[in-house]
Amino acid sequence: MAPQPRIRGRQAHTPGSTYLAYTPNGKKLITVGVDNFCRIFSTGSDDEPVTVDDCQENNTAIASTNGFFVAGSEDGTVSQYSLENNKLEKILVRTSLPVRDVALSPDGNWVAVASDELVVKVVNTEDMTQVQYLRDQNRGVKHVSFDKTGSHLAVSCTDGNIYMYSLSSEDPNMIRKVEGMIMSIDSDAEATSKVLWHPDGRAFATPTVSRDVQVMSFSDWERQKAFRTDHSADITAAAWSPNGAILATTSSDLNLYLWDTKSQKLLTKFDDMKATVLAMAWHPTENILSYTNNDGELFIHSDIVPSEHASLLSQAVQPAPFFHDPSEGRSGNATKPLTNGTKQTLPERRARRDGTPDSLDDILGPDAISDDEMDDFVEDDDGAGYAPAVNSHGKRTNGHLGALHSPSSKRRVHGSSSFAPEIHEAFQPGSTPWRGNRRYLCLNLVGFVWTVSQEQSHHTVTVEFYDREFHRDFHFTDPWLYDKACLNENGTLFSSQPKGDTPAIVYYRPHETWTTRTDWRTELPKGESVTAIALSESYIVVTTSANYVRIYTLFGLPFRIYRQKSSPAVTCAAWRDYVLTVGNGPVGGDGMCQLQYTIENVKRDEVYQSEDTVALTPKSTLSSVFFSDDGDPYIYDSTGVLLTLLHWRTSAQARWVPMLDTTLLSRLSTGQKQETYWPVAVANRKFHCIILKGQDKHPYFPRPILSEFDFQLPLSGPKPPAKDPDAMHEDEDEAQDPQTDQLRLEHTLLLSSTLHTQLSSTLSSTRPSSAQRLALQQFDSAVDKTLLQLIAAECLAGEDRGMKALEMAGLLHDSDGMMLERAGKIAQRYGRDLLRDKIGELAERRLAEREEEEE
Amino acid sequence: MALPLPPGLTPPEVAFLCEMELVTVIPRQRLEGLALLGGPIAALNPPHRTSLPLWLALLLKRQRRANILPPPWLSPHSLTAILDHETENEEGFSPPPRLPPQPSNNTLPISPPFLPSSTAEAAPDALPYHWLELGEMLLGAASDDFEDPDNVRKLLRGLREVRMAKLRKGVDVLDAGGGVQMNGVGGMEVSEGRAFIGGVVDGLRKIAASREQQRRDKEREERENGYPGTGDYEDDEMDMQ
Repeated sequence: MAPQPRIRGRQAHTPGSTYLAYTPNGKKLITVGVDNFCRIFSTGSDDEPVTVDDCQENNTAIASTNGFFVAGSEDGTVSQYSLENNKLEKILVRTSLPVRDVALSPDGNWVAVASDELVVKVVNTEDMTQVQYLRDQNRGVKHVSFDKTGSHLAVSCTDGNIYMYSLSSEDPNMIRKVEGMIMSIDSDAEATSKVLWHPDGRAFATPTVSRDVQVMSFSDWERQKAFRTDHSADITAAAWSPNGAILATTSSDLNLYLWDTKSQKLLTKFDDMKATVLAMAWHPTENILSYTNNDGELFIHSDIVPSEHASLLSQAVQPAPFFHDPSEGRSGNATKPLTNGTKQTLPERRARRDGTPDSLDDILGPDAISDDEMDDFVEDDDGAGYAPAVNSHGKRTNGHLGALHSPSSKRRVHGSSSFAPEIHEAFQPGSTPWRGNRRYLCLNLVGFVWTVSQEQSHHTVTVEFYDREFHRDFHFTDPWLYDKACLNENGTLFSSQPKGDTPAIVYYRPHETWTTRTDWRTELPKGESVTAIALSESYIVVTTSANYVRIYTLFGLPFRIYRQKSSPAVTCAAWRDYVLTVGNGPVGGDGMCQLQYTIENVKRDEVYQSEDTVALTPKSTLSSVFFSDDGDPYIYDSTGVLLTLLHWRTSAQARWVPMLDTTLLSRLSTGQKQETYWPVAVANRKFHCIILKGQDKHPYFPRPILSEFDFQLPLSGPKPPAKDPDAMHEDEDEAQDPQTDQLRLEHTLLLSSTLHTQLSSTLSSTRPSSAQRLALQQFDSAVDKTLLQLIAAECLAGEDRGMKALEMAGLLHDSDGMMLERAGKIAQRYGRDLLRDKIGELAERRLAEREEEEE
Repeated sequence: MALPLPPGLTPPEVAFLCEMELVTVIPRQRLEGLALLGGPIAALNPPHRTSLPLWLALLLKRQRRANILPPPWLSPHSLTAILDHETENEEGFSPPPRLPPQPSNNTLPISPPFLPSSTAEAAPDALPYHWLELGEMLLGAASDDFEDPDNVRKLLRGLREVRMAKLRKGVDVLDAGGGVQMNGVGGMEVSEGRAFIGGVVDGLRKIAASREQQRRDKEREERENGYPGTGDYEDDEMDMQ
């Protein structure tokens, strides 16, 4: 145990509730209490505090910037005081009911006022006529809290809900009502329900009914880890240390605890509080925690963190305690540091470590330009060593910047001396990243595999099928921590990453067997991790970090192994004997590696396409790769376009054809919907996907239903919005606008001829089933039929359009020789005799050619 | 009369007709295609969507072999919009769904049970002919497939009341030669309103008939008496107007 820390207790105010705040630079500490003055203490001096008179009585809240502070009082006034001359500047706002809390935005421009009124006012400190009103809560408000950017405000209402507002727009809007996190307490209770933003900005914590402190991630509103305090009474105050590494909690049981954020373990405990502590504040840089109690006393507790843990305080901003840190990257490949994490931060970090001590970047780094983020700005004015460690060049290390400053650091990608191309990170098609403690490992038309992490030591994997009669759902406890899965009609394939001494494992479990046990497990060589896996009806494909493509049979027999030419590997897919692998190729013009794919037939050992380019637009990424049920490769990219590969069985003939551009869908044309599409599969010539509303990037639980869309080649923009659904038009019986009709026919023509090409190339290499043959014929006749309709439209339009009609007649497949005749008849019906004659000539020429061929 | 039923279709009969409507289901198990007298039924292959007649969909739903996708016009958003339209426009009902483009000339035009007016691809802004009974049946059998069944139920109820009120109000003008435009009125509403409106029209007809009789009697009397009473005649005409 450390030597008894120095505690300086001071009678700051007459006995009663007392609150305090530090200025962001840590130089001053301001307290308010029941009596009509505020006191300003200077850090590190034992002098008598400065007293600011002409205050209200019964102050309930205080917040401070470096230049001024605001205090709220029970009589409903919020006053602003200058710290330069320690005088009352102005009364910012008055409420009709007692003020309960005030909060200042980090830039000091806005003050949020919580009172027993239903409305939270956000007042501009420069111009108090600028007020934003937050009205969504229907009870009084106990606490308000700005996040570190100042664009979000968390309002803890006395009805037990947190109302999260976005203040970035002109009109503040509520983005989320978080239920069940905080307790419903009276606005004048000593207990707290304040939202504590973690300094890393991605999560916040609140005290809960069970006297825990629960962490919740901000963007996806998932409960993350919790601090299980054993307070015997409600928590009355809590605070993160400035770098987020320590959490201090106290309660009316007169204990004060310090918790380690990373492990949520108790660091130290003080049980000698004299009265209930109502407010706590960490010194922004030093190892000091100050707190005020309900007896008018202020304690400035120096060296509160015992020396064995004091190093925690000097660390950079620590990540909030997530179950699965979202910045781990979506596949969580432990062994691939290059492709791991967010792309923008990577080159920057490397460049920093390489050390370019005198480059302009270090001088003009994010820490110099981001003045408003004073949380990070550590002033080491007394050299006490609490500030972040200083490297050998005399510069502060970049550690405290963390991964959070990616927007401002993006600039550095080009500025850094060593150029590092951006590499497409590896992904497993059909999987989602961790959200909370669960994720989908695989989601396709057969079923879905999801996993739940349980206390870090193991996961629980569940496999569910859409066809519940065909297969039984099953689940099992998974000590290997599988992080990838594939599912098809025959079985499920899993793989795990190497961990410590355990090598990576590939596990295959067939659904149906006639022997007792045919599932098998195989280990990869030590240190080799899995980047992607694929399962077909006959083979298992594993791409690894050593750039090997390993192919096994369904019963675990290693069948082939070879090194992938383009590396690092990105993903793979398989269908029957065909295997498609994608890897990073040469660097393209946009600084990103171009993706290259290879398709081969494993059984015949024949490569169809070798290291051909995956056609992506600049700066877009690949979202999914899969084979359709007919065995054609499809990709879906980050711009929302679905592409297929035509002629891929002939070497160097393959080309990417867009089949659907989801941004042009007519359902989006009204502009009211904001949604994205998460690809699942292509089956029956339809695109199956999950519709994600708003900002979501991945589906989550409960499993959303699948939607399907017909192919729609991006020929023209979406149809003009069908008015709005409210305004119903009575007699607009759509006189079949000839232009839209034309567009529709043109689209049908191109689509059916594309599908015809696709199917005929499939049939040329496989034994066609009767259904496929029928489908081919249908496409063939669909092309001709559409052409005939187009010819009819041209004939109708006028005599001068005959040339175009003749051109269309020339395009007719005319497999049975009847189509040209029909085209002639159409021309005749509209009285276009010249056209009819020309079509007749064309038909004769065709006939002659055909006879020649036969001879 | 031997048949005690009132003329027209009874509500169960209308509901029976409605069961031929196509709805979209997401099957949860396989089923071979069926060749039925009423038309072939496509094979079910989970999780591919399929359009089935309502009776089969309800059967599969009760056996938990399928989930029914409610048509888009049964979403709270669409119903709210339609209800707003109904309450704002005092006259007339919200229009029925637009007919699909006529297929080429040589095929027969298709009519309601074979129109996809209640599948997942239906128009979201119009109530089809069988809206009331279909909504009721789906809410009864497959309320767990709705996002917000209680709200939908409430909105359907509201719509029903607004539209029935309009129907009843139309009776005011129902006199000889009067008429109510009934575009967009659903099947169940017709059968529901038939008894009342039919009764009113019948009653009006009887009143008019007795008056007519009176007039004829008078005329005959006058003819027999030999000199027409012009003043009386004019009065009669005024009455008729």
